[in-house]
This record gives sequence, structure tokens and C-alpha cells, in this order.
Amino acid sequence: MRRGAWIGIGLVAVMLLVLPPLTGFHPYYLYLVSTALLFGTVATSWNLLAYAGQISFGHAAFFGLGGYGAALASLAGSSPWLAILLGGAVGAVGAAGIGLASARLRGAYLALATLAYAEIWRGVAHNWTAVSGGGAGLIGIPPLPTLAWLPLDFTRGRAGGYYLSLAFLLLVIAVFWGILRSRLGLAFAAVREEEERAGLLGVHPLPWKILAFALSGFFSALAGGLYVHMVRVVEPDLIFSRYFSILPLVMATFGGLHTLLGPAAAALGLYLVSELLLHPYVPAFHQLPYALALIVVVLYLPGGLAGLFPSPRPSPPSPLSSPPVGERAGGGGRHGAA
Amino acid sequence: MALLEGRGLSMAFGGLLALRGVDIAIEEHQVVGLLGPNGSGKTTLFNILSGLLRPTAGEVWFSGCRVTNLAPWRLSGLGVGRTFQIARPFAHSTVLDNVLVGITFRSRHRYRRTLDRRREAERLLATVGLAEKAPARATELSLGERKRLELAMALSTRPTVLLLDELASGLSPKGREEVVRFYGRLKERGLTIFAIEHAFRILAHVADRLVVLDQGTIVAEGRPEQVLGSPRVVQAYLGDDDGP
Ligand SMILES: Nc1ncnc2c1ncn2[C@@H]1O[C@H](COP(=O)(O)OP(=O)(O)OP(=O)(O)O)[C@@H](O)[C@H]1O
Ligand SMILES: [Mg+2]
Repeated sequence: MRRGAWIGIGLVAVMLLVLPPLTGFHPYYLYLVSTALLFGTVATSWNLLAYAGQISFGHAAFFGLGGYGAALASLAGSSPWLAILLGGAVGAVGAAGIGLASARLRGAYLALATLAYAEIWRGVAHNWTAVSGGGAGLIGIPPLPTLAWLPLDFTRGRAGGYYLSLAFLLLVIAVFWGILRSRLGLAFAAVREEEERAGLLGVHPLPWKILAFALSGFFSALAGGLYVHMVRVVEPDLIFSRYFSILPLVMATFGGLHTLLGPAAAALGLYLVSELLLHPYVPAFHQLPYALALIVVVLYLPGGLAGLFPSPRPSPPSPLSSPPVGERAGGGGRHGAA
Repeated sequence: MALLEGRGLSMAFGGLLALRGVDIAIEEHQVVGLLGPNGSGKTTLFNILSGLLRPTAGEVWFSGCRVTNLAPWRLSGLGVGRTFQIARPFAHSTVLDNVLVGITFRSRHRYRRTLDRRREAERLLATVGLAEKAPARATELSLGERKRLELAMALSTRPTVLLLDELASGLSPKGREEVVRFYGRLKERGLTIFAIEHAFRILAHVADRLVVLDQGTIVAEGRPEQVLGSPRVVQAYLGDDDGP
């Protein structure tokens, strides 16, 4: 990346760090920006999965599994920190599960399977009343604990959730950055670009695809676990909401598919414009930016926002362009996924 | 003992019989050429030998072991490498990354250090004349460069036997000659080559043996001069009018 880009990132990071005191620890604004940061985390996780060639329409499943996992652990008396981590693990397992179950699906077919998966979990949460509290959900989730070694203002109320959201976003970006530079990134890109070819070069695709699902599910679920500790309730329609599936997809494609920072930048931008600028004035149309972003990407900016900045990273193809299983010449896809 | 062997290989696509009981044995350190008209089943045979297709009937043997239906990554681990008739690189990755995949994930001769892997990738690209193209994306390559990348990718797993599918097709006469001569060099380096080419006259110079496939059946095989001199081949493959 160019130096200007690094300076820009540094500035944004510092701004985000000092935002709480600057707003006088204003609970509403902190809540809004925290949510934007959590969307940034889910959008980056979504992008990590897309980097391995898998398009999801169902990240709400992982977000929600993390939320319920963390809520149940907290309500059972575990420390919220541990509860959020457990929620992450639940999301990772849930994501690996759908990755395995849909191992033979590609492109739009895989996307539809993940969409169904999120809906199934929403149904389970609605109906498994004994555990999930049914449609009414679970209340009484404890807040995040304050930290004795930090000034109280920085960890209590919305500020604690804010800084943890920021930490999660930086964490998932750092992990993605590491992956792009490692064997993992090489395998993910190979499986994404030419799965059969990858197989012929010694890369057994399935474990890598599952790993991408598990990683993506883990970070999305961390965000979900933190989210329920911020709002302190969990309900099926809130946490398995299609928003958590569709918005990360829109944010990541608008920001730039397969790019390191595009999804997070787009998440912050789109969410804050929608909530801060549009919601107060034209509440009925506050979701408009997502629709516009999608139209802009489809019609004018195939590489997303990141496409505006020339970089050595490859510009990706459209997310739904990969063919379903069995369409490849010669291979029949037999070992593509098996 | 043959290095790579197909025994009674048949392949049906629905009602279409692409291969009908093909017996083929590739001896170690030889260059074997595979000829045949369009649609005669050459690529299908390669797909089976490299593990991309399950034969309807028959067996594949490698180095004395039955390897029928082994996954491509297992066959690649044993030492089978291949190229595709229409290049299939990792299109949006760099040329360097394209060869790094095999170097990194092959099951034999793995390097622990990133630097060693990178060095081998650069060496390999230099061997096929793509050193300067290392940072370019595969999509940016010309047809000839794509063919060379195909070869480099196939070599990146350090195979013992290479299945080359029309590597010289689409190139200029000079390019074709260069590529086919390169087979001889690969053989000198200890590789075994099984190559589909339409440029049979050039192939005849480097091949130890030629095999002719027609409608899924082997119709001729033997030493190049023998095969190219046979009336049956002239009829099946070259057509009546333009014999060699
Ligand atoms: N995956 C597939 N599904 C259905 N039919 C196939 C498939 N692959 C090949 N075929 C058919 O099998 C026959 C043999 O095809 P193959 O590609 O092996 O021929 P080829 O000898 O390589 O021809 P060419 O010289 O044109 O490359 C053809 O009729 C082809 O249409
Ligand atoms: Mg062919």
C-alpha cells in the first residue's frame, strides 16, 4: 500500500480512538458508531469468506449464533469476556457446519443455502423456547464489566462496548492482513480462482473452504456476542435479522471485494450516513444508501470504492459470476469439493 | 515397469462413449506423443489419468500401484502433473503466485522458508521465460505466455510424469517448434512426458513413441516413423489427401 493510504488509515484510527471523549461519551453517538464498527467487523469477515471464493447471503446466522451463544453463557454466570469468546466459537462451528453441508455448491447456489441457513436458525430461536426464550428472546444480559486499570469513563456505559467494537474490527483486519501474506491467502485465492487447478497442485479445496467459513463465522459471531452485551437483550428477529446478512454483503462489495480495508470503510461510511444524516430527516428512506451503493457497484464501479485507488491487489470479478458445480469443462467437479 | 498406465479405460458421457477400452503404458524417461482427430478422447484420457474424471470402466496404475479414482491432489502428490488445452491459471493472481501454489502445497520437496519457495518460483519462471512477468496478473498474459505459465504451473509440483495437452497449439510455427523441442530438454532432466500435439511432424523428432487415438480407441502406436508411415493413421488422422 502507498504511504498516503497508511497515513489516512492512521488518521482514521486515531480519530476513532479519541471519538468518545470528544463526544463527551455521548451514549447515543457511541452506540451508533459501535454498531457501525460491528458492521465493519462482519463486512470484513464476509469479505474473508469471499476471498476464498464463497459468497454468503446468511451471515446473520453467524452473528446470531454468536449473540445467542454469548447471551446464554453470560446468563449462566460466565464472565461476559469469556461469554463473547464462547459465542465466537459457536459461530465458528455453525459456519463450518454450513460450509461442510454445502461443500458441493457454488456461486448463487451456495448463497441461497447460506440464506436458508440463517432463516433456519431464526426459526430454531423462535421455537426452541426452553433455551432461546422463543420470540420474546432473552433479557437481563449483564453489561460489559468495567476495567479497574483504565479510567472509568473509558469502559463504562457505551464506551466499553465502543472500544471493544473498535478492537474487534482492528483484530479482524489484522488477521485478514496476515492471511493475505501467508500460505492461507495463497490457498484461498487458488481455490477461489480455479478450484480444480488448485486440486491438481496439491491443494485439497474442502478443508480450506471450511477454514474460511470457520474464520469468517468466528469474527462475525464475536461481533454478535458483543452486540447482545451492548443492547442487553437477544431476540430472534433482531439478531438473525436479514440486515446482518445483506448489509455486510453490500458494504463489502461497495468497499471493494477482496480488499483489506474497503469493506470496513464502506461499512462505517454507509451506516453512519444512513443513521446520522438520513434517519433524523427522512426516516422512511434512511436505508437508501445501501440500495444506491449496490446500484453504483453493479453499474459503475465493479471494483468497489477500492477500485478508485489503483493498487497491486487484483480487481475481482462480480461475486455471483462463478458457475455452479459441474459446469467446468472436463472435470465434472468430482473432486472439486469432495 | 511402466510409470503411468491405463488399463481398459472406458468413459461414457451419457450415451457418448469418449473412450472405449484404452490400454496405454507410459515408460519412464520417455516422450510419448498422443495424436488423434478432434473429439477422439485425448483430453478425456488426460482427465482420467490426472484424477479429474472417474472412468466408467478400467484402471489407472502409477509406478506399480493401483491409483484409479484417487483425488487429483493425491495423484499430484505421487508425481503426476498436467497442463490444460485452454490455459486455466489463477486468473486474478500474479504470475508468481500462480507457480507458488504448487511449490507451497505439493506433498514432496516442501520448503519451510518462504524465501526458498519464492526463489524456486522465480527460477521456474526463468526456465519458461516468464521471469519479467512475475508481478503481472495471469489475465494480462498473451496466449504464448499463458502456455508457458501452464507449463510452469505443471512443473511447480515437481512431477515425475507430465501430461501436456496441446501446449504448442495456437503458437506460431517457430513457437511450436520451441515448445516441442523443450520436451526433449525436460526428458533430459529426468521427466517422463505424455504430450497431446497436432504438430506431429515436430513431435516425431522428440518422441520415443506415438499413440494414435480415434473415436476413443487406439488405432496405432509405435515408433514415430512407423506410426506416421502407416496407411491406417493416414486415413484416420491425416485424412486421405494430405499425407505426410
Ligand atoms: N465433461 C464432458 N461431458 C460430456 N461430454 C464430454 C465431456 N468431456 C468430453 N466430452 C466429449 O467426449 C468426446 C471426447 O472429447 P475430448 O475432449 O476428450 O476430445 P479431444 O480428443 O481432446 O479433442 P480436441 O482435439 O478437440 O481437444 C467429445 O465428443 C466431447 O464432446
Ligand atoms: Mg482435447
